[in-house]
Amino acid sequence: MAVDPKLLEILVCPMTKGPLRYDAERQELISDQAQLAYPVRDGIPIMLIDEARPLGDGQR
Amino acid sequence: MNLEAIQKTYRRYAGVYDMLFGALFEPGRRRAVEAINTRPGQRILEVGVGTGLSLPFYRRDARVTGIDVSPDMLAKARERVETQSLAQVEALLQMDAEATSFPDRHFDSVVAMYVASVVPNPRRLLAEMRRVCVPDGEVVVVNHFASNHPLMRQFERAVAPLSTTMGFRPDLELPMLQLMAGMDVIDIQEINAFGYWKMVRFRNKGGMNGHSTRLAAAAG
Repeated sequence: MAVDPKLLEILVCPMTKGPLRYDAERQELISDQAQLAYPVRDGIPIMLIDEARPLGDGQR
Repeated sequence: MNLEAIQKTYRRYAGVYDMLFGALFEPGRRRAVEAINTRPGQRILEVGVGTGLSLPFYRRDARVTGIDVSPDMLAKARERVETQSLAQVEALLQMDAEATSFPDRHFDSVVAMYVASVVPNPRRLLAEMRRVCVPDGEVVVVNHFASNHPLMRQFERAVAPLSTTMGFRPDLELPMLQLMAGMDVIDIQEINAFGYWKMVRFRNKGGMNGHSTRLAAAAG
């Protein structure tokens, strides 16, 4: 299930309030500034810092 | 009380929340939404939307976004939106009320009902509500505030340890909240006869919003 594009336009990173980009393949919203990936489950983004995946150095 | 503990608490409550607390909290929910409903076509954020008990009260031309930290409560809210065809609800999202994913100045009105006593840091909650609200927009808080009555204060202090296990702190002071908010108070209304619950309406003063993201971060 895809995320509502209108929603993607407005959402920012809860930590930095900076931009997010959508990784459709991994179903994640990526905050490059915070180096965190927020999971999207059933088309619903989980915008919690605690549940975000830290981006490792080698990953992207 | 951290977010995980809150999620756990509401996982237990989700199925019975409406039965236990629905009627008790309904007057406050109605009053807050009525206050917001005086203005047409607004973009509204309800913080701590829970099972969506107040969603049916919003006027049909409103554009409501609800957030909650508990996925179990949100599932109930989504059910309600679907079964009652609540077209005014645009999105229901899992977020931390103290660190949301919305840009600055995004909503015309921001409301939190019965939330300020169950978040880990009420100061950060208010800073965040203010940040996402447009200049001159309205921030509405319905909550219990510590009583000025000596007997009531004694009672509140006595039950404080009990409330911790319930995830509710009865000791939030109204003047403290006003100070935390740093906004102009429009009015304060008593929700029930004893004034145990009150509704505080704030006007988000213009001009501060440029620094609001940093303020919200600094408030933590």
